[in-house]
Amino acid sequence: MSSLLSRSSAQYLRSHPWLMALSVLGIALGVAIVVAIDLANTSASDAFRLSTDTVTGEATHQVVGAGEGLDEGIYRTLRTEHRFRSIAPVIEGYATLEAADEARTFQLLGVDPFAEGPFRPYAGFGPDSDLELEPLLARSTVLIGAETARELGVEPGQSLTVSVEGVQHTVELMGVLEPDDERSRRAVENLIVTDIATAQRLFDARGQLSRIDAIIEDESTEDRLRAALPEGVHLQRSETRTDTVAQMTRAFDLNLTALSLLALVVGAFLIYNTMLFSVVQRRPLIGRLRALGVTRREIFRLVLSEAAVLGLAGTILGVLAGIVLAQGLVQIITRTITDLYFVVTVQQLSIAPWTLAKGAALGLGLTLVAALFPAREAANAPVSMVLQRSTSESDIQQRAPMLALSGAGLAGVGVAILALIGGSIAWSYVGLLLLILGITAATPLAVIGMAKAARPVMDAVAGVLGRMAARGVVSTLSRTGVAIAALTVAVAATIGVGIMIDSFRGTVETWLQQSLQADVYVQAPSPSFRRATATVAPALVASIRDTDGVDGVYTVRNVDVTADVGPTELIAITPGPQTPDTYELKSQEGAVWDAFASDDVVLVSEPYSNRYGVETGDTLTLQTDRGEQDFAVIAVYFDYASDMGSVLMSRTTYDRHYDDDRVSGVAVTAASGIDVDALIADLRAEASGVQDVLIQSNQALREASMDIFDQTFAVTNVLRLLAILVAFIGVLTALMALQLERNREFAVMRASGMTPSQVGGLVTMQTGLMGLFAGLLSLPLGYALAYVLIYVINLRSFGWTLQMDVSAGILLQAVLLAIAAALLAGLYPARKMATANPALALKEE
Amino acid sequence: MNRLLLILLAIALLLGLGAYWLSEPAVDEASIRTTTAVAEAMGSTDTTGYDRADRVIDFSFPDDHGPHPGFQTEWWYLTGNLDGDDGEHYGFKFTIFRSALTPPDSADAEHADPEDWRTNQFYMGHFGMSHIDRAWHLSTERFARGGAGLAGAQAEPFRVWLDDWQIASAEPIDQTPDATPDDSTFPLHLDVSDEEMAIDLTVTPRKPPVFQGDRGLSQKGPGSGNASYYYSYTRLDTEGQIMIEGDTVAVSGQSWMDREWSTSALAEDQEGWDWFSLQFDDGRELMYYQLRNDDGTPSTYSKGILVEEDGSSTLIEREDVELEVTDTWTSTIDNESEYPVAWRMRLPEYDLDFAVESYFPGQEMDVSVRYWEGAVRIDGTSGEAPLSGRGYVELTGYADGASAGPVS
Repeated sequence: MSSLLSRSSAQYLRSHPWLMALSVLGIALGVAIVVAIDLANTSASDAFRLSTDTVTGEATHQVVGAGEGLDEGIYRTLRTEHRFRSIAPVIEGYATLEAADEARTFQLLGVDPFAEGPFRPYAGFGPDSDLELEPLLARSTVLIGAETARELGVEPGQSLTVSVEGVQHTVELMGVLEPDDERSRRAVENLIVTDIATAQRLFDARGQLSRIDAIIEDESTEDRLRAALPEGVHLQRSETRTDTVAQMTRAFDLNLTALSLLALVVGAFLIYNTMLFSVVQRRPLIGRLRALGVTRREIFRLVLSEAAVLGLAGTILGVLAGIVLAQGLVQIITRTITDLYFVVTVQQLSIAPWTLAKGAALGLGLTLVAALFPAREAANAPVSMVLQRSTSESDIQQRAPMLALSGAGLAGVGVAILALIGGSIAWSYVGLLLLILGITAATPLAVIGMAKAARPVMDAVAGVLGRMAARGVVSTLSRTGVAIAALTVAVAATIGVGIMIDSFRGTVETWLQQSLQADVYVQAPSPSFRRATATVAPALVASIRDTDGVDGVYTVRNVDVTADVGPTELIAITPGPQTPDTYELKSQEGAVWDAFASDDVVLVSEPYSNRYGVETGDTLTLQTDRGEQDFAVIAVYFDYASDMGSVLMSRTTYDRHYDDDRVSGVAVTAASGIDVDALIADLRAEASGVQDVLIQSNQALREASMDIFDQTFAVTNVLRLLAILVAFIGVLTALMALQLERNREFAVMRASGMTPSQVGGLVTMQTGLMGLFAGLLSLPLGYALAYVLIYVINLRSFGWTLQMDVSAGILLQAVLLAIAAALLAGLYPARKMATANPALALKEE
Repeated sequence: MNRLLLILLAIALLLGLGAYWLSEPAVDEASIRTTTAVAEAMGSTDTTGYDRADRVIDFSFPDDHGPHPGFQTEWWYLTGNLDGDDGEHYGFKFTIFRSALTPPDSADAEHADPEDWRTNQFYMGHFGMSHIDRAWHLSTERFARGGAGLAGAQAEPFRVWLDDWQIASAEPIDQTPDATPDDSTFPLHLDVSDEEMAIDLTVTPRKPPVFQGDRGLSQKGPGSGNASYYYSYTRLDTEGQIMIEGDTVAVSGQSWMDREWSTSALAEDQEGWDWFSLQFDDGRELMYYQLRNDDGTPSTYSKGILVEEDGSSTLIEREDVELEVTDTWTSTIDNESEYPVAWRMRLPEYDLDFAVESYFPGQEMDVSVRYWEGAVRIDGTSGEAPLSGRGYVELTGYADGASAGPVS
């Protein structure tokens, strides 16, 4: 019996190749997107972990300063006086090497080979090492990966040009790092290892270290080391730092993953649609099988296993396609992560089996879940009834109000989750998903209503055919409903995400306008756009001050410090007369700018305030070079530069607490009557030969910032398009199914005198109506989605408030998109139905 | 259809396996090898530009206790035989070596700043201890650059250090020993420790320094400059405490200190040396080194010194000494290198005839350039009188592939 069932199943699947292929494609796309996003995300974080592991080596702890770096004297004292042996000084930073056609960013690691042995054996000097003392100690030499050296076309003994913070240095390639395995190869491909003396010269940081690595095995050593550290310097576990940094992208990753899941959900609609159709179409066959004694359970299993075959095929294809897609996505994602969070380069995708398994399980699981209802539908059909086709149709029309009601309930739960469970981004997405599903469940009822409303209009426009088209949408609701729902969700996603990006863009634009008020901005080139890691040469800052036509020079310094609440980006600025205008305050206490100038007070950005729950009136404790220090929070300001948030301090206050005279960037105002372009030319002349810095007008900087913004949302836009593609396939599948199923109906129409073009017109109108309904339905759903994305998801993920900005254009676009997608998808079925031979179709039974 | 399912499952499984194969485990740092290929500015055999020991000089103290960075090689060397208050006998050997990587007039050396990490001075420390009665020998080595305050040497106040290993003028500095009245460098404090062993000793010379060779110019091979500047404190009273394998013991005894600096002292056909520093119980000391040619014969440049109880000394020539190996020992590190560990030494002209024998043979220094450095006992006659004593012997150039000395 089971082989009979299998054969009938196989026969059915074979006889509808296009339908099945499209279903498989839908699932495949959904899985591909999920897998690709996950692979890209994990590759990026894997690459980051790998590079951190490589430079962290075996260190269990790190000694770090309050701000950027620490005095090398601390290391000397620990080693010579406190007798610590398992410690190693480290200088870490970024450098670029000119490859054949592009400047590649490398992690530069400066170490003392005599202390390295236990930490990073490849950089250690010892009995077994191949390091030569003279070039290592007495000359500026570097080690790079063997493969990288080949790519760059340099050989040991030759010199190469390293660019660090915009200053070029010539160093000699002393040797190469030869990794024995694949992972080590990846670990060294973006690494430059050099002696500390060379690193200090490259970073122009004589006397400074980035940190001291330590291997500590017992608590007493840890206590002893901690006790030996001066005020302001502290000991932390190595993972702490890695974890902190790795977690920076958590919200970013999560949001991408959620968007990718959306595509999969749309794919699930597709499977649901296909399976339901296959069941409806095979009602007579199922009835006969049931009459032959096949049990409900067997029918149920039959439908599920068909879905499983489709799901498995789709999943396998999807996983493979996902890997391919990820190759492209990973570059976009790493670029964004580098701009926003930390420097990471991925030369090669790392394929995590777990990700593939997850994607496969999701694809298969969702397919089976989606097929559950159709399978039950098939199994539950009583033998006597299965010969009737329309049961399901009248059924669903009767059930539509109930469905809508339960949808409302679902949506209610979704809203409740959104409103009540604060903080968690994952739960917010669950709430959002319930909201979407709830609204989707109301689709049949809405379609019935809209069809009723459309009938007179259609009648007026296209007569009987128009009326038939409107009624046809309803009479085939069990299939059209799902197609419309899928299209609605996809288009709503476009609207929601579109409004969110637009609002975001608008908000950022306004904010940039306000915060960039100086005439010229000078920045040292950093690998990351928003996180300034490089500093402007002191000599250059001095000569900028002396340049003719310069009215005011305002410096900014970005450093990573530790606050009692967590890792913190501290920004020290020299306030100018315009400063109060450049910051829009969300809340404040007292005369903010008077106190700011020199008191022990700070301002915190909105994301910082949200992330750490720090409000105006609170006290923030920062690690400074003088030990822990309390600062009063006197205001919260709007800021969209970093979702990590930042703390703002005046340079005067900063200098009092930190031993650091470096400058990350300089803002220059031109004296009145001075042409800004001419001033920029003068400043560039001052900089040439000193440091290769970026000197831009505020206009140019604003544009560059907006470019980065757009780049950041490139992935989001790609995902949005892919979701529409899946929905499009959904509509296509649904309509093709419809055509196959309504063959007879149309044959009857043709037989009763309708011309092929009238049939074609009917089908086109019907699909057009479906598109219109989906488009209209997607408007409120899209708006709701946008609202949730902006005021819940974004706020919780990144901590900033955006001004919601709904443009009519986006809404109109969405409706048109829905109609166009539906019409396009209906094109083939319309032609097919119009040209079908009625006699053949009528003969079917 | 079940078959189809099976096939699909098999494909899925294969894909999974493939993916697993593609993904790699965590980075093993040891799997990264570093290979270098860069011509050194100066080969270690190229002595161009370095200072040479090519003439007799007037030693000037305390300046000459400090470093001579223009010479390729220099060391501060101390050994001693110590008696613990637990009745056990201990030996120690501690040396800090300095090497110049480039000649003093090269560009690298010119802007030398002691605070800077960039330097052409390299330091190496060797530390060994012997627990004679239990035949335990421990040895270790360290490396550091002569910069950034991590290692270095200075004459005033005297301090030679590498990490936390240090030889420095003992504080307070008001107890200048009788033997060296004009030199406030002494007594010295040795503070050297490692996980398993440590010495914390104060050494006070009982005799003024003796100058080896021709007034301190010790010719090691043919040709001007193939020599070292070399002086010794042959007997230093030693007090303090030691730690070995966790036991801390108060000790007292006698130490020996050598200071030597040179540029390429050994000739190419010299493969090593056997160096004896012997402290006789009658108050005399004998230093004798026998340079070995690579054909096994003793070099004619072998030399020594005999120091009388009052500090006066006599140069010992190669012809004055009859040295005969009476026992050998095979290294337990490579199970191959064979070291002499017992000798019969005769100086007929001085009526000395005695056996020198290691307290136990396993005193090989397990460091990157292996050599043997061990405490020895002396037993024999001086004329008619019985002669006994203790000392240290250094044997280089025996281990496979080893160069002639710890630094050369």
